[in-house]
Amino acid sequence: MNHPFDRQDVDVAWCPGCGNFGILQLIKEVLDELQADRRSTVIVSGIGQAAKTPYYIDVNMFGVLHGRALPVATALKAANPELMVIAEGGDGDMYGEGGNHFLHAIRRNVDIVHIVHNNMVYGLTKGQASPTSQKGFTTKVQVDGVGSEPFNPLAVALALKAGFVSRVNIGNAVHAKEVLKAAFLHPGYSLVDIFQPCVTFNKTNTYQWFKENTYVLDGSYDPTDIGAAMNKALETASMPLGILYRNISSTFEQRIRRGATEPLYSIKHDTAQIQGLFEGY
Amino acid sequence: MTLNELKRYNGRNGMSAYVAYKGTVYDVTQSPFWKEGNHQGQHNAGADLTIMMAGAPHGDEVFAKMPVVATLEEEPLLQQSDASAATPLKERLQIWYKKYHPHPMTVHFPIALHMFSAGLDLFFLASPKVPYAVGVFYTFFVATVMGFVAMIAGVLSWWINYNLSTRRPFVVKLIVATLTLLLGVVGIALYLENPGIVYEASLEGITYHAIILFTGMSVIVLGYYGGKITWGDLSQYDTKTVVSETEEPLSAAAGKLPAAGTYEVPFSSAATMAPVKEVRYEVKEGGIGRPNTISILIGGAAGAGIDTLENLLCDAFKRSGYYLFSTKEYMSRVRGGSNTVLIRISDTPLEAPCWEVDLFIAMDALALEHAKERCTSKTIIVADQTFAQMETNSRAIPMKETAQKLGNVHYANTYVAGVAFGLLGIEPQPLIQSVAEHFKEDTANAAAVNEGCQAGGKLERSTLPALPKADRERSEKLHLMDGTTASGFGFLSGGCNFVASYPMSPSTGVLNFMASMSKQFTIAVEQSEDEIASLHMVLGAWYAGARALTTTSGGGFALMGEALSLSGMTETPAVIYLAQRPGPATGLPTRSEQGDLNLALHSGHGPFPRLILAPGSLRECIDLGYLAFELADRYQLPVIILSDQYLADSIAMIGDVDFSAYEQRRYIVRTDKEYRRYADTQEGISPRGVPGFGEGLVCADGHEHDERGQITEDYRKRIQMASKRARKETGLIAQAVAPYTYGEGSIAVIGWGSTRGAIAEALQQLDDPRLVQIHFAWVHPLNPEHLLFLKKYTHVIVVENNADGAFADRLQHYGIVVESRVLQYNGFSFFADQLSAMISERIKELS
Repeated sequence: MNHPFDRQDVDVAWCPGCGNFGILQLIKEVLDELQADRRSTVIVSGIGQAAKTPYYIDVNMFGVLHGRALPVATALKAANPELMVIAEGGDGDMYGEGGNHFLHAIRRNVDIVHIVHNNMVYGLTKGQASPTSQKGFTTKVQVDGVGSEPFNPLAVALALKAGFVSRVNIGNAVHAKEVLKAAFLHPGYSLVDIFQPCVTFNKTNTYQWFKENTYVLDGSYDPTDIGAAMNKALETASMPLGILYRNISSTFEQRIRRGATEPLYSIKHDTAQIQGLFEGY
Repeated sequence: MTLNELKRYNGRNGMSAYVAYKGTVYDVTQSPFWKEGNHQGQHNAGADLTIMMAGAPHGDEVFAKMPVVATLEEEPLLQQSDASAATPLKERLQIWYKKYHPHPMTVHFPIALHMFSAGLDLFFLASPKVPYAVGVFYTFFVATVMGFVAMIAGVLSWWINYNLSTRRPFVVKLIVATLTLLLGVVGIALYLENPGIVYEASLEGITYHAIILFTGMSVIVLGYYGGKITWGDLSQYDTKTVVSETEEPLSAAAGKLPAAGTYEVPFSSAATMAPVKEVRYEVKEGGIGRPNTISILIGGAAGAGIDTLENLLCDAFKRSGYYLFSTKEYMSRVRGGSNTVLIRISDTPLEAPCWEVDLFIAMDALALEHAKERCTSKTIIVADQTFAQMETNSRAIPMKETAQKLGNVHYANTYVAGVAFGLLGIEPQPLIQSVAEHFKEDTANAAAVNEGCQAGGKLERSTLPALPKADRERSEKLHLMDGTTASGFGFLSGGCNFVASYPMSPSTGVLNFMASMSKQFTIAVEQSEDEIASLHMVLGAWYAGARALTTTSGGGFALMGEALSLSGMTETPAVIYLAQRPGPATGLPTRSEQGDLNLALHSGHGPFPRLILAPGSLRECIDLGYLAFELADRYQLPVIILSDQYLADSIAMIGDVDFSAYEQRRYIVRTDKEYRRYADTQEGISPRGVPGFGEGLVCADGHEHDERGQITEDYRKRIQMASKRARKETGLIAQAVAPYTYGEGSIAVIGWGSTRGAIAEALQQLDDPRLVQIHFAWVHPLNPEHLLFLKKYTHVIVVENNADGAFADRLQHYGIVVESRVLQYNGFSFFADQLSAMISERIKELS
């Protein structure tokens, strides 16, 4: 059952039944179907169960610190715009520890695919609330249940006019794949928030719960209308799945590199030019 | 119409060609753009093209011309996969199953027993003895009974954990397990019917033995697939539901994805690691002997134009042929308050401020109060007639009146410049040129200069020292710049092509300089959201092969601790320009201190090698800026440049620099398929690849990792990698730049970083043959061999612009006895005249 994007000789550290397996499979298949070149594909991940994903996919990888995948991925893309860059992590990683970077990566519109495994709980630290945990969710720390309002990544992304805002449920793999593929093809920052159950620490938000509390946006939905998208993002009774919003604008790497795409490792400054400038002082 | 139905209308073999877009199905059979159900060789009919439209060169107006045949029913796309079809009962069972894991617990019995039974049967067949036959049967009996238990547990697991998946391992297991159980029942029945068959070559006998042997093997198959399900690469998701229903016309889309490296690295790679060119310090011109200097202090409010005045005077003094040094001292505010600019002119090079001044020009009454302490009885104090004091050394001039007469209060600045030139008796032509170039069309400034010169020339000046000897030819060859600009030139010559910073005084100047350079050089400059992001961006850029820099001060650097540690662990180079200011916390934001040495030394969790450099002159700013990039790249570690507000903002003169000597290199290798990012080497340096350059994959990891960069907790690999990282420091120490030494005496005056100029001038003033200046610009890691000579001094004095004497502690750590520490932490850098008094105090008791 080998997949071309399988990394060999690795020991997968997830619990049996974990939603991460589905996401791993999904990403490998999308990379395969898009004929991604493993040599020019980089996954940057933070810390958490979700952030272990790149250790199991055979592409370039930079495993960084908790919450920090986005600034690393942003600079990496600018330093070599010819790379395909993915930033991946969980809800705590991306929306908690890395919350500030989330805001500014969107503002920059750097052309990366931002995959967030959203299981509404902290898995690696064994079951505390995450920024997306629902109100009332009790844990060993939140003993009276979560009292804070859950973080709404889609609404936040839309408020910043993100170029591509989407959410999928890994329980509906066919739909998830279509959306993830579109995210890879979108030229600019693409957020894919993936609902995924934690079978060990979250007994509330299960496969069944995600099935019952989501619906797929139908063909009549217009993803270019940001007002409609914001209304959709704010729906909580049953949460929409699909591409909520799409809008193409100039990317960070185009602006910061003034349109140049050659990798910075091939750039050398002209010492005669430096000399000339120095003589001017 | 559903997607499945739509699929049939692919336009081929006489079928109509339909496509769906946003829920509507259109007939494109008649469209000239669709041939045989294909559009532009990229898109096939019979599919939903909604997602593909994002990449289309045309909009969705094209659909308006197509006949609508149906609406696309959402059902197939909406269909939830069975993966989520759990019931509450199922969940309860899942919890129960997780707790007791009945299948793994029971399945090993039938596997072991069937194998044992088959093995024993082979003995029986070789030597038919009764105990063997009985043993075979009872083992087989228990194996079969246990097989039922295992099968029930297995089916339960199949349902609750794997959603009745129909993937191959599950199907194989179900068939083989059922067969094994059936054969078990048959075998038991045959034996119970007539135990004698075991000795017969009859049909029953042969069948019985065949069953025993077969089940001994079939359980191996069961075990194999069971292991594969538990440990293998399978997810619980049914691939059938994941595979896309339509054949995606993705060739065009795939073309949009980047292809691997087509670029070369035009630099030397790790294979040709020539030694780093040793940085040579400039030989001090002029030598010992008191310089002839005049020091001018100008005080005024922020925003009133004293910066402009400083620029004008520096330029004009340089044109006049003087060596000059200028430094400012300002309050943390944009308007108001009282700031000062000190300008010193000399006949020898100097790079230090002094406390007492010869000429003080007060632009307002507050300034007069602010700087009174810096005036002696010989100081000439020039002030406006409205607030000048009636003391013998005061000189009142009509500053405001003249400016108003000329039409703008700002003319007071150019007027004052003229006064200074007139008072000092310097030929005003260079000043007039500077003013003309600076203000271009505003000719009233020239008039202000002239009036100032005349007024200044009339003032009494007998207490001023003699004017230093000017040499225009000499000063034309020199370059005037501040430490910020010199550092910028250093980074530029180091090949810096990426900068990510959060603005923070006093480091922002370098950020500004690099941003201005990005107009002429390929440099990506980004203002990050915080310092955490700054250094992480720097690491991301270096990982991709850039030469990246971040600029910050102590407070910002404190936030970079974790990223510094990540640099150490992932062996990703980084260059950090840390311009210090007095802390803790916000401290004195616009003032100077060398208080962050311990922070730079110890920041970041876990031990890892790092390099700390602290320039003390303009030349060192350039040399060490270059060296920082060279060594970061070569040794794959973070390099911290310690500057401070004083060094960054002070203007001095520097001779010619040959930038072609700064060879830009890249220590990057082209990777091959077997590339391992952390290959263990003798010197600890693993050849560094970058993604997209070569055939290999570059896996960098902040966890402890193995040679290929994969996460590990193996204690042997941990030791291997930690030792590999530590070994890099050995090579680095061998590269260390030895301290600069000046003098032959027995008393060492040791400093580091920005104190270099002040110590040099203080010793010049003391003119004591016992005193030797020792200056460290390479601060960490120190080479113990470079410290041996310190033991020959009878007395060691360490001069530091901080309260903790961090560098003196460092020397003591290396076994150097420090007799005396001269520490200053009042927010000012050392003034040469004050420092000479402090040193004099320390040595007066010494013989």
